[in-house]
Amino acid sequence: MIEITEEEISLEELIKRAKSRDAGAMVTFLGTVRDDGIERLEVEAFREAALAQLEAIQDEATNRFGLKAVEVVHRTGTLAVGESIVAIVCSAGHRQEAFSGCRYIIEELKKRAPLWKKELGERGEHWVGQDEPAGK
Amino acid sequence: MLIVVLAFASFREILGKERQMSLLEGATIKDLLEELAAARPAFKEAAFDDTGALRDYVLLMVNRKRIDPTQYLSRPLQDGDELAIFPPLAGG
Repeated sequence: MIEITEEEISLEELIKRAKSRDAGAMVTFLGTVRDDGIERLEVEAFREAALAQLEAIQDEATNRFGLKAVEVVHRTGTLAVGESIVAIVCSAGHRQEAFSGCRYIIEELKKRAPLWKKELGERGEHWVGQDEPAGK
Repeated sequence: MLIVVLAFASFREILGKERQMSLLEGATIKDLLEELAAARPAFKEAAFDDTGALRDYVLLMVNRKRIDPTQYLSRPLQDGDELAIFPPLAGG
């Protein structure tokens, strides 16, 4: 399931949804707000286009790595340091496919999903990626 | 013809999230961007360099498909098209 939400992410809920009897491995990725001297982060989405892109990425990962289940949730709105920005859960028969699928999804999300982050702090405001290479 | 223009992130702050623009039949993506630039000096400064070329970090989608601005600025728009303008992606 793919979601873009202003609600806090529950990784446990995603894990519960991705469990199945034929899965022997589950890999999770959680992206969090890093304290780079910022006070908060604002996350913005082109919602309809981002959902379509994430669904395409999910299908690609499922077909390429034979995943049993994929869960992706991306936050929007105002986030504090330490909060979760994105969560990905991949389940597969074996660990190799689950690791590869999870990595594929986060890397493609960063390249293709229309989402933006603005850092706000004492030093002012800054759209990530506009003045320096994005997706470090 | 009517075109829906969506703007995100830094471009939303300048242009607002959504507007409809009325353009002459046959108008291109470049025509639309130049009309926006004429109406909003802050957009002109953000989107175009001193030579009038579109800056590298201006990204575009037409009807939710990315287009390469170096190749498709002269593409004519159709009535009802949706053009999205935004800076480099930074999700995750």
